[in-house]
Amino acid sequence: MRLTFILFGFGILFCIAGIGYLAAEYVKYLSEVGKIVSLLLTVGLFSFLGKYFEGLGW
Amino acid sequence: MRKNLFLYLTLACFVGIIAIFVVDGYLGIYDNLFVASGEREEEIGRDSRPWQESVRIDWGEKAFFCYEVDNRQFSDYTADVEVSLWHSQEKVADLIAQPISVASFDKGQLEWVLDTAELIPGDIPTEQGYEFTVVIKRGEIERRLITHVRPAPYPPKPVIPAP
Repeated sequence: MRLTFILFGFGILFCIAGIGYLAAEYVKYLSEVGKIVSLLLTVGLFSFLGKYFEGLGW
Repeated sequence: MRKNLFLYLTLACFVGIIAIFVVDGYLGIYDNLFVASGEREEEIGRDSRPWQESVRIDWGEKAFFCYEVDNRQFSDYTADVEVSLWHSQEKVADLIAQPISVASFDKGQLEWVLDTAELIPGDIPTEQGYEFTVVIKRGEIERRLITHVRPAPYPPKPVIPAP
């Protein structure tokens, strides 16, 4: 059971690292307006995700 | 319901980010220039990144230019492309002037040759470097590339007449 959680943890970490790498590479192609709107949406995304987990009782 | 509302808002933000990356980052018209001289080929600019400012060519060599237009739009793209060669703010030669038409999500290419032996004035010694500016006009967009002609490493020796 514990091993499963460790593997899940690794999987999630690799996913986040991969998406972060792709975003860092791809953001070069965005215009300045695209960059700022993406940044605002990212802030909103994590804020709403935090509120969602808060609602779940985390 | 309130709990799910935040989840939906999170998903909406994620979809918005992906949409911006696709529309702003991928779609559009992109151009690139390749310059081959001697045994080397250089990529001057790629997609929307800033173009490299200069390229070096050896004296007497020919430089083969390939200008690529990448149409990442849902409609065909047509534009007039004019390429000219400048030195000290004066036009030296028109290298190419023709329309380019690229189908949707396709690439089009234009090629031309810059012959340094032909274009450098005869009174310039081979030990001295020389510079041109290649100006590419595609519709409203203008690209400039400084072409530095390197001096010949071994200038030809003067022929001494036999006694």
